[in-house]
Amino acid sequence: MALAGCKSTDKSAADHLRVNLGTEPPSLDWSIATDHVSFNVIANLMVGLTEFDKDLKPAPVIAKSWELSDGGQKIVFKLRDDVLWSDGKKVRAQDFEYSWKRLLDPKTASQYAYILFDIVNAADYAQGKLKDPAKVGVKAADDQTLVVTLTHPASYFLAITTFEVTYPQRQDIIEKHGNSWTQPANIVTNGPFTLASWKQQNEIELRANGKYFRGKPAMDKVTMYMVNEKTTALTMYEQGNLDFADESHSIPTLDKPRLAKLPEYKLVPQLRGEYYGFAVDRKPFDNPKLRRAFSLAIDREIFPKILQGGKTPATSWIPPGMLAHNPKIGLAYNPEAARKLLAEAGYPDGKGLPPIVLGYNTQEDHKLVAEAIQAMWQKTLNVVVKIENQEWKVYLKKLQTDPFVVHRAGWGADYPDPDNFMKLFTANSGNNHGRWKNPQYDKLLDQAASEADSAKRTELYDQAQKLLTETDAVIAPLFWKAEATLLSPKFTGLEYNSMARMDLRNVKPAGK
Amino acid sequence: MLHLLLKRCLHGLLVLWVVATLTFLLLRIAPGGPFDSERKLPPEVIANLEAKYHLDEPLWRQYLRYLGGVAHGDLGPSYKYLDRGVTEIIAETLPTSLVLGSLAMLFAVLVALPAGLLAAYFRNSLIDRCCMSVAALGISLPNFVLGALLIWGVALQLGWLQIGRWDDWSSVILPTITLAAAPTAFLAALLRSTLIETMGEDFVRTARAKGLKEIWVIAKHALLHSLIPVLTVMGPLAAALLTGSFVVEYVFAIPGMGRFFITAVTDRDYPLIMGVTLVYTTLLVGANLIVDLLYGLVDPRIIRVE
Repeated sequence: MALAGCKSTDKSAADHLRVNLGTEPPSLDWSIATDHVSFNVIANLMVGLTEFDKDLKPAPVIAKSWELSDGGQKIVFKLRDDVLWSDGKKVRAQDFEYSWKRLLDPKTASQYAYILFDIVNAADYAQGKLKDPAKVGVKAADDQTLVVTLTHPASYFLAITTFEVTYPQRQDIIEKHGNSWTQPANIVTNGPFTLASWKQQNEIELRANGKYFRGKPAMDKVTMYMVNEKTTALTMYEQGNLDFADESHSIPTLDKPRLAKLPEYKLVPQLRGEYYGFAVDRKPFDNPKLRRAFSLAIDREIFPKILQGGKTPATSWIPPGMLAHNPKIGLAYNPEAARKLLAEAGYPDGKGLPPIVLGYNTQEDHKLVAEAIQAMWQKTLNVVVKIENQEWKVYLKKLQTDPFVVHRAGWGADYPDPDNFMKLFTANSGNNHGRWKNPQYDKLLDQAASEADSAKRTELYDQAQKLLTETDAVIAPLFWKAEATLLSPKFTGLEYNSMARMDLRNVKPAGK
Repeated sequence: MLHLLLKRCLHGLLVLWVVATLTFLLLRIAPGGPFDSERKLPPEVIANLEAKYHLDEPLWRQYLRYLGGVAHGDLGPSYKYLDRGVTEIIAETLPTSLVLGSLAMLFAVLVALPAGLLAAYFRNSLIDRCCMSVAALGISLPNFVLGALLIWGVALQLGWLQIGRWDDWSSVILPTITLAAAPTAFLAALLRSTLIETMGEDFVRTARAKGLKEIWVIAKHALLHSLIPVLTVMGPLAAALLTGSFVVEYVFAIPGMGRFFITAVTDRDYPLIMGVTLVYTTLLVGANLIVDLLYGLVDPRIIRVE
């Protein structure tokens, strides 16, 4: 859509920021929210024990310090005593204990309950086998001390405490208001903003929280629109009726080359990867040589071109910015080596190989990638590749029951630790769609989880990534994502992080 | 008349029950569930979710539970929008769709009636050709294309109107035109063809022969008679417009109910799909009932025959 001649209908104020959520947040209850739209609102209403810093390491927020003991199985968090809820009450360790146990409570039916299963008795409590929540290994020793006992040393556990689902909650508020405790009239929060209004399918309004312990934000008012259609949202931005646009909700792929020329255009690398998985329990992909041949035949450099930029070609799995990211691992494009391996696998020049079905969920970007890879495999390996797309929920069912021999999948980090990415492919993982089982891989991950030393952890993850993407070649990583963003030149300080969260607390009018 | 009303209401309830039952069963057949996501959940978490929403119960019990809820005005919890019930979601979004749909209906009637009348009266003239060319365009142009064109031209290039909000009069104009375009064109074309047919009837010729003024011939005899087919299509049209349009609400970011006809299905939000389907069916039954009553005004013989 052409920008030339665009007329502005801008009605904004200097301390009023307008962003687009894209859709209605399914829930503002951080025990049951599962999606990044909800988390983008919650992250501006609340703070937790920690947040991750620019190096993606957990940094103190409400927890001013923590101590590990018992070989890393016990963590004692010391809390600040100056953090207030929006109704003026102090945030206490009991609020964390209540929130974590509520997350695990079978009655809450939280989809993220499993994130705390490393805590003693947490899994049993969530399964209903244990009825007494007092036996779960999280306890407020006093108002400022939270003690967490783990079933095993988990070096990634601190990273979990950056995740919104672990934020504290007020028992009195939830018990008083029931399911409607997240409505603006009822909710109390402790972050930079408060929830002023929530108009369904329309907009959410936040107001600066004068009781925020780091000081009131410069933006007095934030309006979060729910505009589904990217073209409409971009038009609003170009008319001056929206101040921040991100690729997920407000920037159509085809507009990216044009927008890239704007000074406010930024690409923010994301902790999100895409891959093609192979069904290793079915012929012909039960042969690792064949899998390696298919991975070697993918020229990943083409993806940034066909997807209009913002993609980093990937041969390994752990994304850039995360501990143990190693771009040297994996099988880079090598058509000669691919053809050689194909012959060694018993299919010289593709002879004898049945047609390969490549499945993906219906989406324009996925289609472009599938068509490109179909062409590459046909050209390099001389194989017939059929591509098949399905609606998202149908595709998910297919992945869980009878996955395509080659299937598209992706993953975005819940918390910034390689454990979150690598655990997808353990033998008992529900996300291991290719049904690969390698005890050596599982053992390496267990060792890495228990290891406190970053260098040693990196070494262990290197070995695991080599198994995953080279030796066994269970997956062919394709690319890591970067998010295109536009922030109106009228503002500065909006931080869009690598987990697709908009941090609005430091936004200021430009020049102030 | 009262007998007819009662009979129609009972028919309406039967239709609602059949639609609810069929929708309930069809939803369970569709592959994929409400809690399937990119992150495969552990079995214990899935068990908790199924228990919370009674999805672990036998199908017949879920069905009876649902019907019992509907009878008490409770359409159940949404599986997608977890902080609200379906009744609350519909109560908050339906009014917007009703306003937009009513405006589109009004636009359609106010434009289609004179256009159809003029086109029929000045048959094969320049006026007729202009009206019918515009009507053909309105029918054949999908509303997502028309919406995008209006945004590009009126909002982006000319900057006359804002888009993407539903907060003042200027945000109402483009979606109303987009939503009304096809019905307006259809009604105008329908009215023209029935009027042309009617104006060749004996009773119209008789009226003219009696020396009635042309305006009375058209208004009292020809037009009134030609309204019956128009009224027949107005029932379903009203239900479709008043419950909202996915495309128009999506393109113009209007906080209405229409979007749920698509998104609730892709989310497998069973109670929300059931809820919007029941609202649509109720409006359809209600609109058809009103049309039946209007038949009585236009031509009382129709009611007498019934």
